[in-house]
Amino acid sequence: MTEATDLAERAGDRDPRIGLRAVSALRRLLEQLEAVQVRSARNQGWSWQEIAAELGVSRQAVHKKYGRQ
Amino acid sequence: MFERFTKDARAVVLGAVEHAERMGAETVEEQHMLLALLDREGSRGSFALASLGLDRQKESVREALAEARRRGGLSRAEVDALSGLGVDLSEILSRVEEAHGVGALGADGKDKGRGKGWWSGFIGGHRPFARGAKGLLTESLRIATAHKDRHIGDEHLLIALTSRPGVPAEVLADHGVTYASLRRVLYGGGEAKAG
Repeated sequence: MTEATDLAERAGDRDPRIGLRAVSALRRLLEQLEAVQVRSARNQGWSWQEIAAELGVSRQAVHKKYGRQ
Repeated sequence: MFERFTKDARAVVLGAVEHAERMGAETVEEQHMLLALLDREGSRGSFALASLGLDRQKESVREALAEARRRGGLSRAEVDALSGLGVDLSEILSRVEEAHGVGALGADGKDKGRGKGWWSGFIGGHRPFARGAKGLLTESLRIATAHKDRHIGDEHLLIALTSRPGVPAEVLADHGVTYASLRRVLYGGGEAKAG
């Protein structure tokens, strides 16, 4: 009984819609978390260069994305 | 397409821009459209909402939208999908707020469609419409056309909102306003099928 339920649930997890939705939600969450962290770093006086180095992207990329804040 | 918008529909679009500005959002999003729709009075959309009892629950809708913003604007369906991956959003949220203050996660509407488009041309502002909000406008046109309505009114914007996945549709559904219930009161031929 529980085994059947488990199986059904696991089959549900293979629903591409749920998986894709999770990926899209993660992406949005990631963007927001990045914004929070970049803002925090700037408030603590970090340079764009330092932030970019931690994020593993170019200084220009970070500045272009968050520079106006 | 914009010339087909009724006075009320235009007011909603402009109202959405104002809400976005007031909230410091970088883009105009669907949630701002919903807030602007709630502001309307005497329009077809507001009559539809009133006949579904939403006129007395506007504050509750605004609170639910604010709550969704706080969790990063993710819908419940998205939160559930994340938890299916083992990602507990409430846990992340509480840690972020502990370190950066309440509302830190939703503080910035930084994502989705950028750049200026035809809409920002009409509105004359510098705040672009997010991809979702653009899609909403297009969808409202599609709905009006499907009903052979010549004009696009705020009721079409409302139906379009409920037809798309996301926070606004979820919040409206929690308050009894769905694609089906709206269509019933707007096109269903009276109250015959109510309840």
